Amino acid sequence: MMVPLIQKKISLLFTLLAFTSIATNLIAQKNITIHFHHTIGNQELVLGDSFQNIHGEEITPQKFKYYLSNFSFTDASGKTYSLPVNYYLIDEADPASKSFTLNVPSNNIHALQFQIGVDSIRNISGIQTGALDPMKGMFWTWNSGYIMAKLEGSSSASKQAGQIFTYHIGGFKSPHNTIQTIKMDIPSKPMGISDIAISVDINQWFKSKSNIRITETPNCQIPGALAVKIAANYANQFALKSVN
Amino acid sequence: MVSFKKIVVLLLILCLGISWVTITREFKKPTPVIFKIPEGWPKPSYDFSQNPLTVEGIALGRKLFYDGILSKDGTISCGSCHQQFGAFNTFDHNFSHGFNNAITTRNAPALFNLAWQKEFMWDGGINHLDLQPLAPITAENEMAETLENVIHKLQADKVYRKMFKAAFGDETINTQRLGKAISQFELQLVSSNSKYDQVMLGKASFILPEKLGYEIFKQKCTGCHTEPMFTDYSYRNTGMKMLDFLSDPGRMKITGSSNDSLKFKVPSLRNVGITFPYGHDGRFFSLTGVMEHYRKNMVPGPTTDSLLKNKLPISNYEMGQITAFLHTLTDSAFLRDPRFSPPGIQTSTKPPVDIHQ
Repeated sequence: MMVPLIQKKISLLFTLLAFTSIATNLIAQKNITIHFHHTIGNQELVLGDSFQNIHGEEITPQKFKYYLSNFSFTDASGKTYSLPVNYYLIDEADPASKSFTLNVPSNNIHALQFQIGVDSIRNISGIQTGALDPMKGMFWTWNSGYIMAKLEGSSSASKQAGQIFTYHIGGFKSPHNTIQTIKMDIPSKPMGISDIAISVDINQWFKSKSNIRITETPNCQIPGALAVKIAANYANQFALKSVN
Repeated sequence: MVSFKKIVVLLLILCLGISWVTITREFKKPTPVIFKIPEGWPKPSYDFSQNPLTVEGIALGRKLFYDGILSKDGTISCGSCHQQFGAFNTFDHNFSHGFNNAITTRNAPALFNLAWQKEFMWDGGINHLDLQPLAPITAENEMAETLENVIHKLQADKVYRKMFKAAFGDETINTQRLGKAISQFELQLVSSNSKYDQVMLGKASFILPEKLGYEIFKQKCTGCHTEPMFTDYSYRNTGMKMLDFLSDPGRMKITGSSNDSLKFKVPSLRNVGITFPYGHDGRFFSLTGVMEHYRKNMVPGPTTDSLLKNKLPISNYEMGQITAFLHTLTDSAFLRDPRFSPPGIQTSTKPPVDIHQ
């Protein structure tokens, strides 16, 4: 009689444990949806429409895409939660790509960190799948490596044939590493956060740390010093818009 | 109570049995292939754990390698420019023919012993064998196709769906599997059965000019063309004058560093007797032409290799002996191996004699 009783007790204990862990998870786990709003200054970006950039140059953007990854959140106590590594290709032409939901293991978020670009290991490990599939057009086949961010279009300021400008920013090797880490403070909400809206201003590509004028520099399609400069510029394109 | 337990156990066994039968019917596991390292050779650099070789994977890679489906107009395959009888170079061509009469700008390298190579192309721009095919597929003057189209064409093909499933377990066709399959075939291209190899294993002996040539070779050439691969995989400027119409900066194009200006990968000299013309732009028509370059025509510049600062003195006599030795590097079994020919047209199913067994 003794043995089955112990077994019953043990199984009861396990059931209780299982329920407790599920319950704690329910309290702590939280889905937060992040939305990206692309703009040029205060105007909403529309591909194919004509705008003026921060230097007063006319631009008609045709493509705007970039990789985000390595999301982590910091809570009130300063503890950082790194989420499982996942890669997001944000593409202005694909509205569904401009928001996604992250499962955050804390309800009390004070800061958000992420990376623009694809970390070096994924640049040297052969062909990747999903968002990183070279089929997505964000990979250099002649000089292995990801294009971390892409901005293309036409501009009356461009002296290139076809008056185009092409910024394909990539490079993962020192000293031309273009991977950028972004940190953003998040105001706390008493009821917790479910949505974070981030505005992304293309103007920062042209004027942030350095001035990039289409009339002088309509092209960047190789890793190098210029790509690093533009990446340092677009690292400032993100700003917190609203939190709900 | 006891009988109930027995029934439960029996039911469980039955369920497992049924699911086992369904699983095995659903998918026959691919047959593993072991990669053989020739005696005395270093460890390969390719990570086989990420792409285990299988009979089905290799068969798929071979079909892809010889299929024009990878190109825009369906006429150009990998095998169009990498011909087995030329050790998988474009035989007797300085440049190769691409889409719509386009001509390439560099000499198509011979393909063999790729498992030992970490970087690809004359400038080493490609850092993984799996990624290599993506460059010629998408190059405007080669196969001129988009990866998206290639994947869609393969997905629409019943035979390919079946072959991808046999190789990888399901019908998913994506860029990664395309690259892995082609790698599986290309990794088979091991050339290690030349006369030189047989001499090294004590199974043959050099005739006098070959023997003398080997001694001279060891004095003058192994600084870069290191045995047993006959390359050290480094990038060097051998004093080849830049041609105006190509303006090819070599390795500098990849690193952006002026120190790498006019540097190109040291090619392996295995099968060199049949991989003419030579040089990154195929400017040398013969082995004599290459040696004339080293001893006379070199144009030393700031990045010219330190081993070649004073050119490379080679006498007429030495040229003859070195040439005799270089021809011992031709692996005629490799050039005729039916496992590497286009699928369906092999004349013999017998593999050549493997000297390492």
